Amino acid sequence: MNSTLTEMLHRTTQAEMSVLERQQARLKFQSQQNVSVSEQLQQSYFSDTQFNLMPNQGLMSNEMAIRELVNRSIKMDPAGLENGWPDFAKYPLSGAGFGSETTGFGSVENGYGGNGVDLVDYSLSRTSSCPTAMLEGRSVELGLSGKIGSVGGRESVKKRKVDKAQNSKVAAEEIRNKRMKGDSEEESKITEQNNSNSSISNNNNKTNNKETSADSVKEKSKASGDKSDYIHVRARRGQATDSHSLAERVRREKISERMKYLQDLVPGCNKITGKAGMLDEIINYVQSLQRQVEFLSMKLATVNPRLDFNIESLFTKESFPSSTSFPIGTAPELSNCAAYLPFNSLQQMVSSCGSDMAMSSSELALQRTRSAPLPDAFIDTSCFTQTQPSSTWETDLQNLYNVEFNQGRSPAFPPQSFTGILEANNLKMEM
Amino acid sequence: MKNQTTTTRWKTDFQQQLYSSKLLQAISHVRRNPSPNARTVRQVADRALAVAAKGRTRWSQAILKNKLKLNFKKRKNKPRLVAMHNKKKHGLNLLPKKKIPALQQRVNVLGKLVPGCRKESFPVILEEATDYIAALEMQIRAMTALANLLSSTPVDMVPVGGMVQFGASQPADSGPVL
Repeated sequence: MNSTLTEMLHRTTQAEMSVLERQQARLKFQSQQNVSVSEQLQQSYFSDTQFNLMPNQGLMSNEMAIRELVNRSIKMDPAGLENGWPDFAKYPLSGAGFGSETTGFGSVENGYGGNGVDLVDYSLSRTSSCPTAMLEGRSVELGLSGKIGSVGGRESVKKRKVDKAQNSKVAAEEIRNKRMKGDSEEESKITEQNNSNSSISNNNNKTNNKETSADSVKEKSKASGDKSDYIHVRARRGQATDSHSLAERVRREKISERMKYLQDLVPGCNKITGKAGMLDEIINYVQSLQRQVEFLSMKLATVNPRLDFNIESLFTKESFPSSTSFPIGTAPELSNCAAYLPFNSLQQMVSSCGSDMAMSSSELALQRTRSAPLPDAFIDTSCFTQTQPSSTWETDLQNLYNVEFNQGRSPAFPPQSFTGILEANNLKMEM
Repeated sequence: MKNQTTTTRWKTDFQQQLYSSKLLQAISHVRRNPSPNARTVRQVADRALAVAAKGRTRWSQAILKNKLKLNFKKRKNKPRLVAMHNKKKHGLNLLPKKKIPALQQRVNVLGKLVPGCRKESFPVILEEATDYIAALEMQIRAMTALANLLSSTPVDMVPVGGMVQFGASQPADSGPVL
């Protein structure tokens, strides 16, 4: 029964079950556990605090069971608190806060999936922290008490500092193992929370993490398979497990990954280290590219009026596009040959030019060379007669593209319509 | 990875698309304008590039949007400049210059260069810049080839992103024809 419930709890935490469901699961679990210890806890807590949520009281009642549950499944805070909670005065404070926080977090739960579990575990840890003082030397408690530190964002600063102080006193390796187990899972859920005590917790986290044993490493390697969403990040060995630092690390990794891609793209960036220098290089490169585009557009603007008179050059130069890396479409030939080419070659060209988006450049080159002999035959007639026929379909094209751009954004360039127009014009020519 | 696909796609069949679409744009544009100047040709080329990007990236969307709003933007800019000038007269210069971290400064500059990415976060700008650079390289290759085709004097192609560079002089009648 224990194992099934822990499984369920584990699954539910990952699946982001609601607080209530988890509490119900825990309630069921509790029913099998010792009641005596829970009764003690109940008395101590109920006298000190007020609890808004009914299920929480039930949780309080069986802290033993809950502790075991948490130990097996989920989050425990590394910064956490060891045994030895001498100061019960803190608990009323935490307990009162806990009541309000549970409600608060319960409402926020949908936003932060796993945080609900944190919340419940937090409550569990608080409940357990009371008896830990009473039942010292139990490794289970130590593991749980560590939990409280994890939700530092929700706690007061005072309490956190007390926790840290207590933390430093204990030196049981067992505890650390269990805490590390919970660590990795804990951190995955609270990466989004603002942690005001990040510095304090970081120190503790680092010290705790550096002392990880083989067990915790195994746990982490097991848990590493859950790394899917960027929000749920596992704390790596030797690194801070605070939510702030985790989120920052994710962000930094994203940025460095993208910088690497840019480095590959921009020539000459390999020697430069540092983001600022690389950014400078990238900026220079983008500026130079844009200047080139300007220059080429100017050149094309001057060249364009001569478009009609350069047909032979288009045909003669057809062979060299295959030698260059850039596959030049047969559109020029198409546009200028529409008047005088028979059906077959035109359709061949049309199909090779734009309609087939997936065509490889080599294929295109082959088709071009195949269709090359045909246009050559028409060179003599090409130059001066093409203006007339082109005007008939040119207007169609203009309309086509006007419509396209007036829509603001065409989802995909429609070469099919282009080929349709060309074929229609071809038909006209034939007639 | 996503970036790999975006950068490699600009080197393959998209070239075909862009080239054919751009060429047709240029031809229609030429017919429209009796004297096309460099700016209009550039705009047309950019538009074709944005269309080829299929609107998935911010810069392509911004380019296509700008074409429609160009007139409105021009009108808006003028009153804004006047207001800023007045502000300066009243002693805005006395305020200490805000020290922007160097990295952020550069990111802003990059954001201004890439269309549509003025006020985006750092990783977003980097991603957009990656795609934009790849697209620009392809645009340059296309326009160079086109210019070479159309003009008798071949343009010296600059090695862009490791692509093949061919020399300046290519004979005009190199084909098997004639």
